[in-house]
Amino acid sequence: MEICNSYSSSSVDSTKHSASESSVNLSLSLTFPSTSPQRATKQDWPPIKPRLRDTLKVRRRLLQRDYDTCLFVKVYMEGVPIGRKLDLSTFSGYESLLESLSQMFNTSIICGNHRDRKHHVLTYQDTDGDWMMVGDIPWEMFLETVRRLKITKPEGC
Amino acid sequence: MDLRLPSKVLEHILSFVDSNEDRNSVSLVCKSWFETERRTRKRVIVRNCYAVTPAAVARRFPEMKSLTLKGKPHFADYNLVPDGWGGYVWPWIEAMAAKCPSLEELRLKRMVVTDECLEKIAASFKDFKVLVLTSCEGFSTDGLAAIAVACRNLRELELRECIVEDIGGDWLSYFPETLTSLVSLDFSCLDSEVKLSDLERLLSRSPNLKSLKLNRAVSLDALGSLLRLAPQLVELGTGSFSDKLDQEAVAKLSQAFSELKELKSLSGLWDVLPEYIPLLYSVCPGLTSLNLSYATVQMSDLVELITRCSNLQKLWVMDLIEDKGLEVVASSCKELRELRVFPSGAGLDETNVAMTEQGLVYVSEACPNLESVLYFCVQFTNTAMVTIARNRPNLKCFRLCVMEPFAPDHKTQKPLDEGFKAIVERCKDLQRLSVSGLLTDKAFEYIGTHGKKLRMLSIAFAGDSDLMLHHLLSGCESLNKLEIRDCPFGDTALLENAAKLKTMRSLWMSSCCVSFGACKLLSQKMPKLNVEVIDEHPLETRPDSSPVERIYIYRTLAGPRLDMPEFVWTIHKNPEIGVSHLAIK
Repeated sequence: MEICNSYSSSSVDSTKHSASESSVNLSLSLTFPSTSPQRATKQDWPPIKPRLRDTLKVRRRLLQRDYDTCLFVKVYMEGVPIGRKLDLSTFSGYESLLESLSQMFNTSIICGNHRDRKHHVLTYQDTDGDWMMVGDIPWEMFLETVRRLKITKPEGC
Repeated sequence: MDLRLPSKVLEHILSFVDSNEDRNSVSLVCKSWFETERRTRKRVIVRNCYAVTPAAVARRFPEMKSLTLKGKPHFADYNLVPDGWGGYVWPWIEAMAAKCPSLEELRLKRMVVTDECLEKIAASFKDFKVLVLTSCEGFSTDGLAAIAVACRNLRELELRECIVEDIGGDWLSYFPETLTSLVSLDFSCLDSEVKLSDLERLLSRSPNLKSLKLNRAVSLDALGSLLRLAPQLVELGTGSFSDKLDQEAVAKLSQAFSELKELKSLSGLWDVLPEYIPLLYSVCPGLTSLNLSYATVQMSDLVELITRCSNLQKLWVMDLIEDKGLEVVASSCKELRELRVFPSGAGLDETNVAMTEQGLVYVSEACPNLESVLYFCVQFTNTAMVTIARNRPNLKCFRLCVMEPFAPDHKTQKPLDEGFKAIVERCKDLQRLSVSGLLTDKAFEYIGTHGKKLRMLSIAFAGDSDLMLHHLLSGCESLNKLEIRDCPFGDTALLENAAKLKTMRSLWMSSCCVSFGACKLLSQKMPKLNVEVIDEHPLETRPDSSPVERIYIYRTLAGPRLDMPEFVWTIHKNPEIGVSHLAIK
């Protein structure tokens, strides 16, 4: 029969296990791209039901927050070689951050919006590596992307 | 001498035969017994909705009062079956509405149920009493309203883990004031809020209500007033357990809980705050079933609860319980029969894993009645499995999910073959087994040799070669359901053991090495099986040697199904092989 012939004979030959094994192994490498853990996508492994999986997703996000409750970042002031470290999670928003930094570095520091020649301006480096003005995005979003802080000299921007 | 029993006498005798397994045997004795049995069977169970046609079932059992149907294969629970595969209940409801209008109970699992279906149920079955939908989808809260308004003698309405299009909480208000027969209500899978006053009124007029499972939207505050209206509850699923309550409200709630003298089962407890756990203490001693799968509390809080549950038989909990917590379970819950430990996500990416194989070893040591285990764990050892098997030869169900695919014994780095060998060797009554971790051919040789009572087997990311499938299909005499994903099993074993497939309900294989050609060959060889190739890439131009994404093979009396979507292929669709038997709709 047509189909039988076009099909590899080893599959119909029932007694020669070793022959079929090698043909299967060969086809394994050719057609079975990866028996690797990467095949397990986040959507179907581990085998848990949808509702539990959704609850897990939310939990994971919350857990990350918990573990990241120490959100220490380095802070440098331009012209000062030694930096400081600050736990951003202890602040409720930009205001308290600026207040604390101003005290720490004993100078007045402001966000980018009110630039003038007298005040230092606070900038931050984000996850892309770019230096940005502090204050443009919501606080929570800022916490997620900030990597380090820099206080620039008044005319520095 | 006429040895035939008068049919009236036979009917009377058969009224004492309850189990369908026995009734199936009865029906094989002779024609008259077949006839009497079929006319008196009230409870019909069809475990694969495509194994038989609705018309045939309706014809055979005209006095049917209760119908149970199962649709999609089990792996559909884990997103392995594409949407639109099938499992539609509509043809069944149509058939029953026409032939068995006295149907009272419908229990469906993994089926597609539309609002139309629910409306038809409401319109067709005058004495409809029980609707239990497990892992179903396709309907909205409007369909629920249709059931609520029309079924005047409704006793049970349970939605267990269904995916429902939630249009709002109005549906609850459709229960008429005259409905007083409610015994069980479960809407825990719905998202939107129902009106508290509707719920309160419903509870007030349901003196027989024994089981109530609320959804997350029901606040802790509301819970208090609801419990006061239903102190006779035997099963309770709370709503969210995390609102901030003032002292007075807490005291009232505590009082309400202490009034639940009949409570045996507790679930829900979403987001439970540790400070509210003491509210549950009063019901703990009476509990036989506790589901903490959504209670994301730490070990120390869980333990406070569990030490008080000395009569617990069933415990579902997250791995937040840790080994220490399971040690407490072992010492407190001597009546434990079933343990399920789910992953919380804490163990998956982080390294601070405080729940290991040891936790399960503790429980196996100390709980003599433990017979069913589902355990998600990051890693395991052979020694632990050997110990568990030695401790608990009475295990009936052992499902171990080592979450890291191909993870070896973390102490010896060897495959987990010896561990599973001990399980199948010692647990002679083992009916259900799920294996995981690094496994070679040997493991499956052991399973084939010893797993004689095994009915359901689940395998993922395992194996060396075709030999493994061959061992299983040729060795496991009682094998009924086999589901495999991501294993290098292929054509040879499948074709060699084709006859075995007729004795099983179904075989599922996804991301394995089964070729298109083998599927065609198998289909031709075994006309009494439906060999479905489920593959989202077109098959017409495929060479015979190319592997298919998924196959689902099941025995059937119904022939090819008429509702196959494009991505499901059977031989009947292939113009090369023969005439298509499909009716064009």
